[in-house]
Amino acid sequence: MNTNFKLKLTALGHPNPETFNCEDEKEYRSVVLWLEDQKIRHYKIEEREGLRSIDSENWKEAYDIYQKDLVSPVVDGTLNEQLNWLLSYAVRLEFADNVSKYKDVQVEQPKQAAPNVVSSNPLDNLNFESPAFKAGVDRVCTLAGVGPHPDPKFRLAAVAKILKTSPHPEPQKSDTIVINQPVDVLNLLFIQDLRELQTKINEALVAVQTITADPRTDTKLGKVGR
Amino acid sequence: MVVRQYNEELKYLEKINAHCWKIKKGFQPNMKVEGVFYVNNTLEKLMLDELRNSCRPGMTGGFLPGVKQIANVAALPGIVGRSVGLPDVHSGYGFAIGNMAAFDMSNPDSIVSPGGVGFDINCGVRLLRTNLHEKDVIPIKEQLAQSLFDHIPVGVGSKGIIPMNARDMEEALEMGMDWSLREGYVWAEDKEHCEEYGRMLNADPSKVSLRAKKRGLPQLGTLGAGNHYAEIQVVDEIYDKFAAGKMGLERLGQVCVMIHSGSRGFGHQVATDALVQMEKAMKRDQIDVNDRQLACARINSKEGQDYLKAMAAAANFAWVNRSSMTFLTRQAFAKQFKMAPDDLDMHVIYDVSHNIAKVEEHVIDGKLMTLLVHRKGSTRAFPPHHPLIPVDYQLTGQPVLIGGSMGTCSYVLTGTHQGMTETFGSTCHGAGRALSRAKSRRNIDYKDVLNKLESMGISIRVASPKLVMEEAPESYKNVTDVVNTCHAAGISKKTVKLRPIAVIKG
Repeated sequence: MNTNFKLKLTALGHPNPETFNCEDEKEYRSVVLWLEDQKIRHYKIEEREGLRSIDSENWKEAYDIYQKDLVSPVVDGTLNEQLNWLLSYAVRLEFADNVSKYKDVQVEQPKQAAPNVVSSNPLDNLNFESPAFKAGVDRVCTLAGVGPHPDPKFRLAAVAKILKTSPHPEPQKSDTIVINQPVDVLNLLFIQDLRELQTKINEALVAVQTITADPRTDTKLGKVGR
Repeated sequence: MVVRQYNEELKYLEKINAHCWKIKKGFQPNMKVEGVFYVNNTLEKLMLDELRNSCRPGMTGGFLPGVKQIANVAALPGIVGRSVGLPDVHSGYGFAIGNMAAFDMSNPDSIVSPGGVGFDINCGVRLLRTNLHEKDVIPIKEQLAQSLFDHIPVGVGSKGIIPMNARDMEEALEMGMDWSLREGYVWAEDKEHCEEYGRMLNADPSKVSLRAKKRGLPQLGTLGAGNHYAEIQVVDEIYDKFAAGKMGLERLGQVCVMIHSGSRGFGHQVATDALVQMEKAMKRDQIDVNDRQLACARINSKEGQDYLKAMAAAANFAWVNRSSMTFLTRQAFAKQFKMAPDDLDMHVIYDVSHNIAKVEEHVIDGKLMTLLVHRKGSTRAFPPHHPLIPVDYQLTGQPVLIGGSMGTCSYVLTGTHQGMTETFGSTCHGAGRALSRAKSRRNIDYKDVLNKLESMGISIRVASPKLVMEEAPESYKNVTDVVNTCHAAGISKKTVKLRPIAVIKG
């Protein structure tokens, strides 16, 4: 874990990444403060008091709140996991601030061998890079409590996982119409598609019947019981 | 069975709301879940009277009272949720008729029981609509009833008029309604409007005894006896205009045909064969039950699987049977009105099965579970938007067809979300017997029954008039009580009331 921290601290320009020891409580706390002060800057300066009081017993509490405010996915993880996420987040912000500077850096990609398949499913043709898509995912993720990640597709997968495993929260009364109307529209569109499909199935069955059908009756076989 | 005073017994029963009673654990030994039954005031009295009678000294033999049977089912291995008694519940073989119970497929101890399906496997109701009005039919009502009677053989030992050989039979058992479709006896739309699309895919005719096949072969396309009937009915009342419209029932007086029949001797033989096998399996696997009639086998055992495959074949037989009668009904109408069945708009509204066990997915305590749902004298009633109901009923919920007793009325209901959570998407199936067959024969005169029907303007054709008193309305609970209870309890919703104008039966 230490090499990982070292790498990220170096990238962020921390003054002494070589000697940082994550097991030392004081050093750990000062790195967190340094990250907020220099890189993340999520709070206004006066709001950082809690994190600044490194020697106080209340620091842990402030740290927990800080992580929740950042929607860290590892609030309940170990201290190392928490710091690792903070570092990655800071790196991400740093990158976002200077995209033009970093984007020319070439990483050698292995050649894609897969053939180019053109799909007729509109969902497959979504532009995952478009700002609209990113903004949409962002909004859904905030609602579902999914933390930030540079790849919106990754976040979408996380949202899908959450929706599958945990029951859907009841919408607030004021929101029911907003939520139910699109649901109704989707339902009706779905039913319309289903009706078309069923009609096609019926047509296929009727087409086969013209070849196979030969209904017969023989009244001589009939017998009324007692 | 535990012997207690009636007052002691009552301590185990608790009325939880106006239409629902709870049967607490301990009412019968080893109850794994609680029982529940739905009643209104009238039906409640019938239920409790039955229990009181059984508590009197010297009352042994015969069937246990319905409440006891519901509780015994709650003691079967692998049962989940609750053992549910519907408002038409009455004593049957092992399981009460009007009882549904679901068993967890992932629990290796879970069982399947032929008593939980009934002897008439896939007994069910099919409703056809027409574009005729009552006034079109009244002048030729007698001829129409006679024509139906001529086309659809009825009664014990009756034989059908659709030629079948042994090979046709094997194919029909495997394919269900797809066989009728291939042979041209039904329309493509009929399959669409049938529970399970008229075919159980796990049917395996090789698991059915030769004896059952021999019994079944000449009976395809026959109505049978007992409570089975074909009725010409008219729309008497519409409660839910939207849902009725989706079913093509637009106006009062519109003529419909209801067919209530099952798998005849074939299903009976399949059930009888299975019971013999299961008694052996119970000994081997040391399955303990409260009542010998609750013979069962683990779902995953050879006996359990063999029964499910044979039962599915019997279910397919019943669908082919009802499909054949649909064909014959269309012919009878076409001849009388000299119009094609197409032009008479004789579409199948729906076809329900009220004696069957099926694998379904349900949400129990927020968790999705795969269950083997037994419905005996209980109809599936899935809510709107359920994936297993036809696209035409996605907005209304599944149509539920409730056949009344002879000469009374029938109902069409729809499934609800509440029913899905409370009763595994199940509701009542009919009136439910109040008097035993023997008692009816003793107490009621068949001439009175026939005269009464005539005075109500109902044409009747029966194969055995001397048995009609078994089916007299007096022998049954009031179907309106039953249906109103289901509606009030929220487990299904009233849509249409139908009134008979002609009856043919065994």
